[in-house]
Amino acid sequence: MNYSYTNAKTAALTCHNLVVGYTDKPVISNINLSFETGQFITLLGPNGAGKTTLLRTLSRHQEALAGSIRVGGQPLTQLRQADLARIMAVVLTDKVTPPLFTAFQFVALGRYPHTGFLGRLTDKDNDVVLAALAAVHADDLSHRDFADLSDGERQKVLVARALAQEPKILLLDEPTAHLDLKHRLEVMAILRNLCRDKGITVIASLHDVDIAAKISDRVALVKGGAITSWGSPEQILTSETVADLYDFRTACFSHHLGSIEIRGDQYRDRVFVVAGMGKGASIYRMLAKRGYGISTGMLLSNDLDCYVAAGLGAKCISQPPGAVFTEETRNLALREMEASDMIIEANHHTNGPYQENQDLIRRAAQMGKPVFSFRTASGRNETDGIIAVADSSELFTAMEVHCP
Amino acid sequence: MNQSPQVQPSIPYGLQRPLSLFAILFLVVLIMMVVNICTGSVTIYLSQLFHLILRPDNTTESFILWKIRLPRAAAAVLCGGYLAVSGLLLQVYFRNPVVGPFILGISSGATLMVSLVMLTSLTMQLHIITPFTVTLAAMAGACIVMTIVVAIASRVKNGITLLIIGLMMGYLCHAVTSVLTALAEKEQVKGFVLWQLGSFSGFKWDEISLLLLVGGLLLMIVFLLAKPLNGFLLGEEYAMSMGINIRIFRMLILFLACSLAGMITAMAGPVAFIGLAIPHMARMIFSTSDNRILIPGTFFLGALVASGCDFIARALLSPVELPLSAITAFFGAPVVICLLMKKRVQL
Repeated sequence: MNYSYTNAKTAALTCHNLVVGYTDKPVISNINLSFETGQFITLLGPNGAGKTTLLRTLSRHQEALAGSIRVGGQPLTQLRQADLARIMAVVLTDKVTPPLFTAFQFVALGRYPHTGFLGRLTDKDNDVVLAALAAVHADDLSHRDFADLSDGERQKVLVARALAQEPKILLLDEPTAHLDLKHRLEVMAILRNLCRDKGITVIASLHDVDIAAKISDRVALVKGGAITSWGSPEQILTSETVADLYDFRTACFSHHLGSIEIRGDQYRDRVFVVAGMGKGASIYRMLAKRGYGISTGMLLSNDLDCYVAAGLGAKCISQPPGAVFTEETRNLALREMEASDMIIEANHHTNGPYQENQDLIRRAAQMGKPVFSFRTASGRNETDGIIAVADSSELFTAMEVHCP
Repeated sequence: MNQSPQVQPSIPYGLQRPLSLFAILFLVVLIMMVVNICTGSVTIYLSQLFHLILRPDNTTESFILWKIRLPRAAAAVLCGGYLAVSGLLLQVYFRNPVVGPFILGISSGATLMVSLVMLTSLTMQLHIITPFTVTLAAMAGACIVMTIVVAIASRVKNGITLLIIGLMMGYLCHAVTSVLTALAEKEQVKGFVLWQLGSFSGFKWDEISLLLLVGGLLLMIVFLLAKPLNGFLLGEEYAMSMGINIRIFRMLILFLACSLAGMITAMAGPVAFIGLAIPHMARMIFSTSDNRILIPGTFFLGALVASGCDFIARALLSPVELPLSAITAFFGAPVVICLLMKKRVQL
């Protein structure tokens, strides 16, 4: 692996030949990572891969079996607990519900390493607590009872508590688990802002590959007792690495789309979709969901439809962008169409590069295969034998009728 | 921070309410003490009381006041207060609302040693079983258990494991005690059973000053630990991440809680329920989990309830004195149930 971009000066946290795990059972071995200041680092991997164990070792909640961790240049083992608390804060998965605590009081507990002997809050401490609440958009929660907060609100307050420690490094174990989509995105945006605005190094274990890909600066893939990949998500999160990471069989992470496509079983009839300009994407997904086999063409390889079709495992007849489709592409498409039971015209082009697809539609009608089209009445020729459908629900009803 | 200036969020750590509550509680404890001192088989009137306190004389009243009533009232206040604080410490440490000061087997250890003294003929050579021997035995029992608990705590990392070990030790001690009870004479058993129910009678001034000095010192340390105790409300993992040295802190908490409970058990017997119920009441009354307020709060409240229970124990079926633990349970159990039903106070 290549660590050449790591710089010892700006590294907030480095692991050298680190082995984490339990006395008789190493969970992840040979970890060599360097987390730069102000970066958002995501640990990705299946359950049980050791993400939590690694985080707990970084936060000194458990001892490393071998190797060393340095925090801001100092060995982790030599830091005093109180000093470490001023550098590093954590958000754990433990459910904490202390009674009779307002959100403000709860966040104020985070001032622990900064307050005096009896924990009296100074004006500065109060300001920091309020700023922490503001940073997580929880100003309005400050007087609410912590135990009465929703999961999403509670998670924000937990992050605020960690922020009140004024840490340089923030470790979060699955910060978005149990959250609804709104809060999931909100928490991720908050964490992203912490990196950018406050220069905090955020290290989080996440389950959403798609969100991680879009928000992280660095990603570490954890599987099978090792860090299998480490680098920027754009470089390492390919459909192969993600499929390998989670043992995907029926799903595929699309590197270009940054999202996960769910593949169908393809147990039903084969459908050829004439698409282009992104019109095919939602049709492919609907067909995959209903178990149809899918092939599509003719597409230019930079079309959105191409990426979605690839993600869904559909056969895609495409060629690099050019003025006209080559004879070879045309023949491939025709052969694919012949092998299909139905043809769907998702996109009706009378000009531009895709107008050549019109020829495909004509040939399909001649083959006597059912052709379904979304084109409007005005663009329809009465004699071409095309079955017009108005929307997707009509399409699937028609498909059931023609090919039960 | 985009805090608009007109939004002036109040800082919830106000001290006005707790301070006035402390003052009220302190007054009520004083009144309860006076009531305890004045009532009984011989009534001491208020005018007499002040006179006798300032100038003790040779009258029966003076004797009763100085030798019986005052030590007893002081014992009730101190024992109740310390027990409640001990319970609070362990409830916070274990983050468990049903934990009391005796959960780790302190009282069982003390009871075992006392049963050895009271139920067997081991002490035949001592002629009579003086209260002093019983106190010493109970102290020894509590100390032994405490040493074991703290020793185990230095190795076991998990609070729940420690809790279960404590419970098991309690069962073991109890098993030995019940064997001894089965083998003992009837008369001895009654005395032993009554000791097990606790009492504030028969306190001597030496014991009171010991309670005051040692207990006061321990209480001071507890109060100085209020900040880490607050940090502990989020559990060990978060406490660690905020800079608390868990190993030292855990030993300290257990040592303090067990010493307080052990000291009381040695002198007053295992007084049930105060340590369990009072921290809950304090949380409700002060409506906070802030231990800087709760530690003095539980102390005063424990003192008040223990004094009240002692008064009821003496007055209800006077001249027969009821067992103290019976009264504390009669009082404590419904209170805890009501509080829990009314509002959540679980840790």
